[in-house]
Amino acid sequence: MFLVKIGEIFIAFLVSIGNVAVFFVKTMLAGIIPPYYYKQIARQAVQIGYFSLPIVGLTALFTGMAMTLQCYTGFSEFTAETAIPSVVMIAITRELGPVLTALMVTGRLGASMTAEIGTMKVTEQIDALKTLAVNSYKYLVFPRLLASVTLLPLLVFINDIVGILGGYLVGVYYLDFNSANYVHNTFSAMTSWDILSGMLKGSVFGFIICLMGCYSGYLSKEGAEGVGRATINSVVSSSILILLLDCILTFILF
Amino acid sequence: MEFVIEVEDLRVILGGAVILNGISLRIAKGESYVIIGESGTGKSVLVKCILGLIKPTSGTIKINGRDLNDLTQKEMLVTLLRCGVLFQGGALFDSMNVIDNVTFGLVYGYGKPVKEAYKVAVEKLESVGLSPKIAKVFPAELSGGMRKRVALARAIATNPDIIFFDEPTSGLDPITSAVISELIVQCTKGMGISALSITHDMKSLRHISDVIGLLHQGKKIWEGTKEEIDSTDNPYVRQFVAGATVGPFTHATHAKTR
Repeated sequence: MFLVKIGEIFIAFLVSIGNVAVFFVKTMLAGIIPPYYYKQIARQAVQIGYFSLPIVGLTALFTGMAMTLQCYTGFSEFTAETAIPSVVMIAITRELGPVLTALMVTGRLGASMTAEIGTMKVTEQIDALKTLAVNSYKYLVFPRLLASVTLLPLLVFINDIVGILGGYLVGVYYLDFNSANYVHNTFSAMTSWDILSGMLKGSVFGFIICLMGCYSGYLSKEGAEGVGRATINSVVSSSILILLLDCILTFILF
Repeated sequence: MEFVIEVEDLRVILGGAVILNGISLRIAKGESYVIIGESGTGKSVLVKCILGLIKPTSGTIKINGRDLNDLTQKEMLVTLLRCGVLFQGGALFDSMNVIDNVTFGLVYGYGKPVKEAYKVAVEKLESVGLSPKIAKVFPAELSGGMRKRVALARAIATNPDIIFFDEPTSGLDPITSAVISELIVQCTKGMGISALSITHDMKSLRHISDVIGLLHQGKKIWEGTKEEIDSTDNPYVRQFVAGATVGPFTHATHAKTR
C-alpha cells in the first residue's frame, strides 16, 4: 500500500513535469510565429524590469551592508580584513545577487502573473481571447517569458552594483577602511566570469519564475480560492526550483 | 436549407463523467436557436465544443459546412473570427478600457489598424446604446448591464456570421434584461446573423428564439419552435417552462447529471 502511494506520487510528479514541458513547447511554438505583440512585450518588460528595480535595489543594498559587517566580525579575528571586499564581491555576484533577485521577483511578479492569468482563466477571459482568434500563449505567456529571461540578468547586474556599493558604504564610513584600498581589493579580485555566471543564473531563474507563474495561472479553477491556491503553488514551486537550480548551476559553473 | 452549424452525435466525457451524450442539432442561416435546460446539464460545454474550446470525445461539428476536426489551427482561428461570443459574465479584459476591449478582436485577430478599429468600435458601442464617452472607462467601473452591452459590442465588432450568447440576461434586472434581449434581436434579425443562445430566462427565450432545444442529462430531449413550447405535451418542457417543482425533473435527476 505504501509503495503504491509512493508510485502514485512519482507518476503524478512525472505527469506534472510533462505538462509543464508541453506548456513551454506550446508557448514557444506560438511565440516564434508572427505576428508579434510588441506592445505586450514592452508592457511586460516595464513591469518586470523597471518596476522591480526599487525592491531589488533595496534588497541588494541591505544585503551588501549586512554581509560586510558579518564578514568583519569573523575576519577581524584572523586579521584578514583586507579580504572582506573581495569576499563580499564574490558572494554577491556569484550567489546572493542572482538568488535574492530571483526570490524577490518571485514574490512580486511570479505571484502577480499567476493571480492575473488565474483570474482571467476563471472569469473566461482566456476563452474570450481564443474566440477573438488570439492565441493566449502568444499573447499572455510568451511576452512575459521573453521579458523575464532577458531582464532578470540585468536586474542581477544592478543588484551586483548596488550590493557592492552597500558593502563599500559600511566598509569605508562605518568600519573605517581606506576608500581606495577597498575599491582596489574589490576590483582586483573580480573576474568577468563572476558577473556573467550570476547573470546566467538570473536568466535561468527568470525562465523558472515566469514558466511556473503562468503555468499555475492556467491551472487555476474554482474561483477566487482556486486562484489563491494557484498563487501559493506558483511562489512555493518557483522558490524551491530556484534554490535547487542554484545549487546545481553552482556545481556546474564553478 | 443552408446550415451554419451542424452538430452530429456529439459526446463529451470530462473527468470520467458523461457531460454530453449524443447531441445533434442544426442551425440554419439567420436562425436563432436557444438551448434551455437545468444547470449542469452541459449547455455551456456544448457551446464551448462548437467554439473549439473543449475537444469532444466523439461526434462531428461543422461550422459553415467545414468539419472542425479537419481544420488546421490557422483555419480554426479564421473560423473563430466569423463567430462572436457573449460570455455569461461578459469576460471583458479587466486590464483594458472599454474601447480597447471592443477593438481587441479587430486589432489582434484581424490585424486592422488601430485608428480604423476605433471607428468601428465607436459605431458598435452606439449600436448597443452606449455613448463613446465611456470609451476610456474600465470594466470594473461599469454596471452589470453596461458590461453586457460592451461585451455585445465586442462580439459584433468583427461582423460575425454566428453569435453565441451564454446566459445573456443572467444577473440583470427585468428592464435591463428586456433591453439586452431586444439588442440581441436587433443584432441577429437586423444584421442577419445566426445565433446560438443559452438562457434560463423564459421571457427572453420567447423574445429571442426561433427554435428551442431542451437538454437533460447531456441529451437533447425536445426541440421545437417558440410557438410549440407552450402547446407541447412533453412533461419536461411543461415543467421547465412553468418552473414547477413537481414533474420529471427532480433534484435526484439533477444531481445525477454530474
